[in-house]
Amino acid sequence: MNEVFFYLFAGLSVAFAAVAVTAKNIIRGGVALLGSFVALGAVYFTAGAEFVGIVQVIVYGGAIVVLYLFALMTMDLKKMKEDPFRAGSVAIGSFLSLAVIVLLITGGLTVGGEVEPQISGATEIAMPLFYKFLLPFEIVSVLLLVATIGAVAIGRRDS
Amino acid sequence: MSPIGFFILSALLFGIGIFGIVARRNVISLFFSLELILNSANVLLVGFSKLHQNLFGEVFVFFVLAVAAAEAAVGLAIVVALYRLTGSVNTEDFSRLRW
Repeated sequence: MNEVFFYLFAGLSVAFAAVAVTAKNIIRGGVALLGSFVALGAVYFTAGAEFVGIVQVIVYGGAIVVLYLFALMTMDLKKMKEDPFRAGSVAIGSFLSLAVIVLLITGGLTVGGEVEPQISGATEIAMPLFYKFLLPFEIVSVLLLVATIGAVAIGRRDS
Repeated sequence: MSPIGFFILSALLFGIGIFGIVARRNVISLFFSLELILNSANVLLVGFSKLHQNLFGEVFVFFVLAVAAAEAAVGLAIVVALYRLTGSVNTEDFSRLRW
């Protein structure tokens, strides 16, 4: 049963991702990206990674994509020229992406074993996060503070 | 559940992201593609975490997420500043450092 839902949401996520990358209308692309991230959160749920799935929906869907959409609202969307794809860059891009896809899947075929969808909620995640990885956790909090201050410093107008 | 599903999903997301980075010339679209590539790494981290019954992979997903959020904030600030300067978000109009 898990497997059915895994492939269902994986297909949904890939389809939304394809729309997000190829959409001419940039707002439509952003909303498709939101759909892709929410479907990925559901994929994490089917694998048992509950807390990661929740955080994926909240942080990626709720914060990052909305941040992009808000930044887009400050720009003049009518002035954005619809860029037609160039045949050359499309050819290079398809070649590179196909090469990467083939490489990754052939690498994955050599990995054996079975994935056991054990549920890992907040309790299970908290033990390694706050004991073994406490120092990286604190450093990440400093990184977020620095990023916030940097974004404000870059984004403000000169007065 | 076989681990090949995680590999296929991760490879497809990574490929779509690479295609977007090469083919698109809108900076916001490039950011979308970057987010997809980071997510493909997250999928594999969760998959291997479940395969090896070891939660360190899932903990690492949080760090990737925090870095992605920081990258989005700073990158968008740079894009908005560039938009004020040039009035465009097309990468071909950003040629100030080229002679």
